[in-house]
Formats: sequence, C-alpha cells, structure tokens
Amino acid sequence: MSKVKGMTKHREFRTLVFLVLLFAIVGLINSDFISSGNIHNAAKNSLLYIVLAVGMTFVLLTGEIDISIGAVLGLSASVSGVILRDGGSVFLAVVIAITIGAVIGLINGLGVTKLKISSFIMTLGMLEIFRVTQVIFTNGKWVENLPDNFKHISQMNVFGINILTIIIILAVILVHFYLSNSKKGRYFAAIGDNEDGAVLIGIPVNRYKVIAFVISGVSASIAGLIFASQIGFISTTAGLGIEMIVIAAAVLGGVSLSGGIGSVIGASIGAIIMSSINSVLVFLKVPAFWNSAISGSLLIIIVVADVLIARRANNRTRRDRLNTRILNYKEEV
Amino acid sequence: MLKKIPKWNLVLLTTLLAEIIIFGLINPRFWNIKILLNSFNDFVGIAIIAFFVTFVIITGGIDISGGSIIGLTSVVTGLLSQVYGMNMWGAALLAVLAGGLCGLLNGVLIAYTRVQAMVITLGGMLLYSGIALVLVGMSGASTYEGISGFSQGFINLANGKIWSIPHSVIIFVVMLLIAYVLLHWTRYGRYIYLTGINQNSAEYSGINTRKIITSTYVLSGLSAGIAGIILTSYLGSSRADFGAEYLMPILTAVVLGGTLITGGKGGVVGTALASIIIGFLKLGLQMGGVQTQYIGLATGMLLIISVAFMGGQKFKVNVRRLLNFKKDREVI
Repeated sequence: MSKVKGMTKHREFRTLVFLVLLFAIVGLINSDFISSGNIHNAAKNSLLYIVLAVGMTFVLLTGEIDISIGAVLGLSASVSGVILRDGGSVFLAVVIAITIGAVIGLINGLGVTKLKISSFIMTLGMLEIFRVTQVIFTNGKWVENLPDNFKHISQMNVFGINILTIIIILAVILVHFYLSNSKKGRYFAAIGDNEDGAVLIGIPVNRYKVIAFVISGVSASIAGLIFASQIGFISTTAGLGIEMIVIAAAVLGGVSLSGGIGSVIGASIGAIIMSSINSVLVFLKVPAFWNSAISGSLLIIIVVADVLIARRANNRTRRDRLNTRILNYKEEV
Repeated sequence: MLKKIPKWNLVLLTTLLAEIIIFGLINPRFWNIKILLNSFNDFVGIAIIAFFVTFVIITGGIDISGGSIIGLTSVVTGLLSQVYGMNMWGAALLAVLAGGLCGLLNGVLIAYTRVQAMVITLGGMLLYSGIALVLVGMSGASTYEGISGFSQGFINLANGKIWSIPHSVIIFVVMLLIAYVLLHWTRYGRYIYLTGINQNSAEYSGINTRKIITSTYVLSGLSAGIAGIILTSYLGSSRADFGAEYLMPILTAVVLGGTLITGGKGGVVGTALASIIIGFLKLGLQMGGVQTQYIGLATGMLLIISVAFMGGQKFKVNVRRLLNFKKDREVI
C-alpha cells in the first residue's frame, strides 16, 4: 500500500510543483500576482471548478465520464435563482438545486448501468436535453435580481479568508480520505481499475457507478449555487462548455480517463491551474484570446509528456498495486 | 436484394420516410422537394465530418475536435484570401490542409503514445479553436463580425446550383461515395474494421495499426477542413466560432447511424441516413413552429433512445433490466 500512496502522491506532487512554478514565474514577471489579495481571489475563482472536478473524479475513477455537468450547473442555478428571486428561502433553493442534480445523476447512472449506454453518449444526450430544459424554464431570459443575503454568502470571511473557500478545502480533504482510506471509498477506484475483478471480489459495481453519477450531479448543482451566489445573475449560457474544462482539469491533476487512477486533491490542483490561466494571462499582459489555445496545448503537452515519462514505471507499479490490493482485501476480510 | 441491406439501415430508412410523411402532414410545404434539397446546406458540414468520424470510431477511437477545426479552417481561409490577398482557391486548399494537419497531430499523438483519444482530441478541441481565436485576434479583425467580402465564385461553392440541384447535395453525395468506397471496397477499409475489432490481433496479422489509426484522424481532420470551407462559403464570412456547436450533432449522426461507439462495427451509409434524419428533424420542427433553441431536446432524446434501444432483441432485454432494478441489485 505504501507504494500506491507513494505513486499517487508523486503525481499530485508533480502537478503541485507545476502550479507553484506557474505562480512563481508569473510572480517574478509581475510581483502583484503573488500578493495575498490575488491569491485569495484565485482561490475564490477556482472554487466552482474544484467542486465540479471533485464530482467528476468520482465518475472518472469508475471508468465512466460525465459530460452533463454544465447543463446540471445551469439548470440548478436557474431554478434556485428563480426561487430566490421570487422570495423563497435559501434553504428551499439549496434543497431543490441538490435534488435536481441528484435526479439527473440518477438518470445518467441508470442509463449507463441498466441500459448499457456508453456514458459519453448518455451524458452528452442529457447535456443537450437539460440545456434546452433550462431555456424552456427561464423562457430564454436571464435570471437577475437575486436577493442580497444570498449573494452575501459567497462574500463572507472568517479571519480574512473566504468562508466558502475554507469549507470546500476541508470538504476536499475529507473526500480524499474517504476515497483513499475507507474500504467503500476505495471501491470506486477498484471498479475503474478492473471491473471484472471488482465483480469477482463482491463489489456491487452498478450501485457504485450510480452513486458516482449522483455525486457528480450533486456537486454540479452545488457548483451551480456557488455560481449564482458569486456572479449574482444566471445567464442562459451559464456553464456552457465548462464540462470540457473540468475534464481537462481532472486529467491535468492525474486522474486517468480510463479509470482507477487519480485523487480529488490532484483534480483540485488541476482545477486551480485551469482557472488561474485566465488571471495569469492578465498579469502577463497577454490578450485574453490566447486563453483557449494555452489551455489546450497545456493539456496535450502535460498528458503526453507524463505518459511518455511514466509509461514503464506505471506498468510495474500497476502490477504491484493489483497485488497489494488483493493482499489487503484478504487482510480485511 | 433487401437481405443485403443491413437491418439497422432499413430501420433508419423507415424512420426517414415516416419523418417525411409526418412533417408533411403537419405542414404540406415540407413535401416541397426544393425546400428539402436546400435544407442540405444546414447539415452538409455535419454529415461530411460524421462520415470520417465514423472511420475513427470504427477503429475504436473518438474525435471531438472536428467542430473546432471548422472554425480554424474558416479563419485561415478568410485571413489568407482577404487579409493577405492570396488567391481564393489556393487559400481554401491551404486551409483544408491545415485541417488535415490538425488531424495528423491528433492521430500521431493518439496512435504513437496511446494516450486516450478523448483526452488528445479534447486538448485539440481547445487548442484549434484557441489558435483560430489567436489568429483573428492578432490580425485585428473583429471576433464577432468575422472576415467577409469573399468573391462571388467562392460564395457559389455552397450556394450555387447545377440543374436545380444545390451544390451542397452534390458535395454530400460525392463525399459519401468517397467514404463508402474507402471503407467498404478497399483493403484499407477492411484494415480499419480489423483494427477496431481487435487492435492486437490486427497488429499480429501484419497490419500497421498505428498508421491506420493515424490516417483515420487525418481523414477526419481533412473532412472537417472541407466542411469549414463549405460553411464559410455558405455564410459568406469566416469566424472562429463556426462549428462550435457541432460536437453533439456529429456524434449523434455517427452513433444513430449504427456505428458502435466501442469500435469494430458500423458504416457510412447509416451515418448518411442518420444525418439526413437529424437534418430533416430540425427542418420539420422549425416548419412545425418549434423554436430553434428547443430542437436540442429532440436530438438529445434521439441520441439516447437510439443507442439504448438499437436493434429488436436488445430493446426487450433493456426494458426488462430497467423494470427489474430492485431484484437486480440484490443479485449483484
């Protein structure tokens, strides 16, 4: 087990080093970039992506993919936004948003496990359907005039640090321990690593896949709430294309698209990198139209380089990892 | 004769006929052959890319960068011909080659590093649309208005007619023929299927699967380039965000056309029929008074339902599985 931890830590460590280097280099060129105010801002801006990336990691670990998160984000943000605007309580808005995310996640999960639809196709279809649902629900108009007490939630500070940032960082750490140290949490990676093997050792594969999709849906709706609270209005294109950025963030953070490998901490670091590119460009005085090209080439370069460097090592550790997993399983039973 | 046609293609053909009849009953103008043929303009780009994405998916990969390559070729054409004053057709040719180059980059990275196709083409999608934006930004042209002022000859490429058949229909048929011959009549086509069925055994039987895989992405990139030229000509301007919303329709056409997303099975005729079905569905809904922004609902459902219930036997099994959810859980 120590080797497994060593390896995952290694990959997260590499991503973290990249993030620190990014901040250091940009800080050298423009020292305003590493001011506490800017780092605070960078953390606040990446919250949305972190929450989405954590949910996505659950699904990716089981070897599936969830493209529908952008639509879940948009729909739950608009529905809760309309409730808040029309004088509903914050509690009601949050409950309904989370219900929407959970239901869409459940449909995705059932489609993938029961109807055996490839998750890419299933969630792509759902993305389209719920984007349109959002447009129908809002009549194609923006949801504006959210109450101040709701917008205030994302502005609250404790000891000068944003309260949402603290909650989410703590949550990510808790989720990390659940996924890496608890028996049930490790099921997600086990399923993605070897589905047939997972069935053989008695893991309820389909149930955990459905759970993963529900978690992804719920975190997308939480992201929707954060979005509504931070921005203060919801446009009809809220969350458009965000799914690809989140997948890219998770992959940057070392989460494998074929399942079984990755951690939520890595995915969060990836999310911070993806969301910082914007402000990096601002501080380097590079025009904003470079954003997409730089994100894309970063993704390709990092992933390809990592594969080329680590392929041989990966094969060996993978074999070791499988062995240790079997041994551990025996010990626990 | 009928036995030779794959079962799924018959299903698609029936769907298409049913669609034409139903929409015609709702709005008789739908039966106007001129309107139907002209509507090819709206989906010929999607169809052309879908033909060659079919190749990619048969080998077991996926290409989601096609839509971005459209934007890139459109911008390259506009820049070369309008801003740098190159010959129109030379510019168009270079732009298509640029599309092929994007495909080559995808293909080489996927085949030779064996990184998942989804990751590479996702990066490619961001990169190519990003390069298009950078080119527009550096040239100083407005992102929203795009580059316009193309010669009439170029505009005619998509908007012209031969014997009252729109050019887009002819391009559709020609590209379908090329794809059909490549995939179903040549040894290269057979290799594509073999690679998709089992890459390892294909490799052992002496097929250079890496070259085959790379070539399918190059074809897909080239076809996206051609689609970009046609779209630029059709709309009379070049913009970086052309094709941005094409990802979903392209994959819908391929998958609805009966190509297995896991590779090894499929064909371009199915893709062609499916893209016509989707195109006519949009046209019919629009003529039936449904607003454009709601049409995604229909295509999204079409995608999921067609994949879930493809083929007769699987439908029953799936429904049974869905009904027995609780029992199933205990068994697992």
